[in-house]
Amino acid sequence: MALRNLLGSTAAASFVICAGAVAAEPLKIALVETLSGPQASTGLLYRDAVNYQIGKLNAAGGFGGQPIELMEYDNQGGPVGAADRVRAAISDGADVILQGSSSAVAGQVTEDVRKYNLRNAGNEILYINLGGEAMELTGEKCHFYHFRTSPNAAIRVNTLLDGMKDAGVLGDRVYAINQNYSWGVDFQNNTVAGSERLGFEVVEQTLHDVNKIQDFAPYVARIQAADVNSVISGNWSNDLLLLMKAVSGAGIDVKFGTAFLDQPGNIGNAGAVAEGHFLSAPFNPEVNPEETTAFVEDYKAVTGHYPSYVEPATVFGVMLLGEALKNVEPTEDGLNAEDLALALEQATVQTPMGQISMRSDDHQVILPMIVQEVSKDAAFKADDTEFGFVPVKVIAAEDAVQPVQDSCNMKRPG
Amino acid sequence: MDQLVFALLNGTIYGLLLFMVSAGLTLIFGMMGVLNFAHASFYMLGAYFAYTLEPLIGFWLALVVSPLLVMGLGILVERFILRRVHAHGHAHELLVTFGLAVVIAEVIKMVYGNFPVEYRVPPELSFAAFTLSGLDYPFYRIFMGAVAVAMFIAIYLLLTRTRVGIVVRSAIYRPQTVEALGHNVPLVFMSVFGIGAAMAGLAGAVAGAFYTTNPNMALELGVIVFVVVVVGGLGSMGGAMAASLLIGITNSLAVGSDFRMADLLSVFGLGDWAEGVGGLLTINLSSLAATLPFFIMLLVLVLRPSGLMGEKE
Repeated sequence: MALRNLLGSTAAASFVICAGAVAAEPLKIALVETLSGPQASTGLLYRDAVNYQIGKLNAAGGFGGQPIELMEYDNQGGPVGAADRVRAAISDGADVILQGSSSAVAGQVTEDVRKYNLRNAGNEILYINLGGEAMELTGEKCHFYHFRTSPNAAIRVNTLLDGMKDAGVLGDRVYAINQNYSWGVDFQNNTVAGSERLGFEVVEQTLHDVNKIQDFAPYVARIQAADVNSVISGNWSNDLLLLMKAVSGAGIDVKFGTAFLDQPGNIGNAGAVAEGHFLSAPFNPEVNPEETTAFVEDYKAVTGHYPSYVEPATVFGVMLLGEALKNVEPTEDGLNAEDLALALEQATVQTPMGQISMRSDDHQVILPMIVQEVSKDAAFKADDTEFGFVPVKVIAAEDAVQPVQDSCNMKRPG
Repeated sequence: MDQLVFALLNGTIYGLLLFMVSAGLTLIFGMMGVLNFAHASFYMLGAYFAYTLEPLIGFWLALVVSPLLVMGLGILVERFILRRVHAHGHAHELLVTFGLAVVIAEVIKMVYGNFPVEYRVPPELSFAAFTLSGLDYPFYRIFMGAVAVAMFIAIYLLLTRTRVGIVVRSAIYRPQTVEALGHNVPLVFMSVFGIGAAMAGLAGAVAGAFYTTNPNMALELGVIVFVVVVVGGLGSMGGAMAASLLIGITNSLAVGSDFRMADLLSVFGLGDWAEGVGGLLTINLSSLAATLPFFIMLLVLVLRPSGLMGEKE
C-alpha cells in the first residue's frame, strides 16, 4: 500500500515535471566579457548594466512566460579567450551573445558568430555588440546577425567636432593622437574626414602603442611644436589619463576632445587637469531631468552606484533587445534567431535620452549623442570630486546619424 | 634644438625612473639568483601605501614611511615564502613570485577598486621648473630624477665603501665561504631582498603621484623593467643604470622622429620600391617607439647574451 502510494506520487511528480518541460526552454543570453585581468574594470561595468536591464525584463515577465537566463563568460580581455568562450556559450545553448569592451575582441566574436551561423543554418545565434565602436564591425565585417547598440567612431568624432566647434574651442589647428589599432585608426580617419566640413586643419596625426606607454612627455613635445588649439583623441584608460596629465604639466593651453573621458577614476585621478575638456557620449544625467533622474536613482538602488561610462548605453541596448523580444514568438529551444534579428531591425525604444532605433541597412543603432564638458557646475559629480560633466550640446538621433558604409555588404536570409 | 634638449631630458628622467625599479630587481637577482616576478608589485604597493598615508601624515612623511612598509613586506616574503621554496630550486622560486604578483594585484583591486585612485602631485610641488620655447618643464619630473640619482649614489656607496657592502658582495660570489667566516648569510639575503623591495616601493611612492596609481601599474612597468635588467646584465647595478638610460632616451627620441625605413632606402635609390612594398618599411618610427626596448633586448641577447655589463652567463 505504502509502495503503491509512493509510486502514485512519483508518477504525479514526474507528470508535473513533464508538463513543465512541454513549455519551451528559457531564452539564454550569454555575456562574454572581460571579467578578470587588467581590463576587467570595464567588463564588470558591462556586467552590471546587463544584469540590471535583464532583471527589468524578467520582472516584466521575461520571455515566453519564463525568466531570461543570463550566463556569464570571462573572455580574459583578448580575442583568443573570447573565441574559446563563445564556443562554450554556444555549446551551453546560448541564443544571444552580448559583448562590449574592445573592438579587437568584438571583431573576433562577430567573425566567429558569422562562421557558426554559416555552418549551422536554421540554428543561428545573434551577436549584440554593446560597445565595440570600430567602423569595420558595421562595414566590411557587417553581417545579418550582428547588431551594434553603441555609437561608432564616425558618430563619436563628428558629434564631438560639432559640439566643440559650436562651443568655440575647436580652433583651426587640431592634433589627432590615437591608439594604434582599429578603433584608434578609425578615430583618426574620421577626424581628418571632418576637417573640410568644419574648416580646420589636422596639423599632425600620431598613432601610438596601446596601453604600453608610461611616459607621454615626448608626445607632449610634439603637440607643443605643432602649435594647435585642440587635441582630438579616442584614447581610453591610462593612455588618455597620462596624455592629459603630461600636457597639463607642460602648461600647454589646448582643449581635449575625447570619447572616453567619463571612464570611472579618470576625473578623480586627473582632478583639475580635466577641467574644460570635452567628451561626446550617448548619456548625460542632466539631460531630460525627470526621466533621467528616475533612471539613475533606480540604477543606483539596484547596483549600488550611478550609471556612468558604458553603463547607460548598455542598458539602452538591452532595452532595445527587450523591445524586439516582444515581437518574437518563443520556440521549443528558446527562439529563432532570424525572427529576433528581423524584429530588432524594426525595434525602436524610448530611453531617458530620447528615442533610439536600429538601422536595418547595417545594424547600427541610431541614437542621440551629448557633447559635454568637464566643469564644477555639474549636478552629478564624478568620482567624488568637485567636477562632473555638463551638457554643452544635445544632438538628436537624426542629426548624429552617419551614412551607411559602402563596404557593408549584408547578406540577408531568404 | 630645444626639441632635442626636451627629448633627451624626458628620456633621461624616464630612464632614471626605470632604474629605480630595476635596481632592486637586479640586486636581488645578483645576490640570490631569484628572478622576482613580484618586484613590480612592490612598486605598485609603494604607490598605494603612499596614497593611503598621504592624508594622514602628509606627502613627505608618506614618501619615507611607505618604502619602509614595503621593505617590511619584502622581508616577510623572503623569510616566510622564498626561503622555504629556495631548496626546491629556481623554477619554484619563479613560480612563487609569479603567484605572489597575481595575489597582490587582486588584493589591491579588492581594497582600492578597479579604477585609478586620486593620488596626485601635491600642489606645492606642481609648478614649472623652467620654460623652454613655450613648454613648461614640470618640477616634479626633476624631483623624480633627483630621487633616483640620490638612490643610485647611496646604494653604490653602500656596496663599495662600507663593510656591509663587502659582506654583501662577497656573499654573491662565495656564500659558503662568507658563512664559514662567521657572517649570517640568510640575514644578509633577507636584508638585500628588503632593500630591493624598498627601492621599488620608493619609486612607486614618487612616480605613482605623477603617473597614475592603478591596479595595472605593476603589469605596465613589470615587462619593461625585466627588459632593462636583461639588457643591463643580470645582477649588474651599473648595467641597470646604463640600460635604463639607453631605453628611456631611445624611446623618447623615437617618439619625436618621423623617420621611416623607406627614407633610409631612398638614399640608395630604393625609395620608390620601399613605398611600393609598404608594411614595416613605411611605418613611422614613432608608432613603434614602445616596441624599441624589445628590439634592443633582442639585439643584446644575440650579440652579448650576458648583457651590457653582466658578468654571469
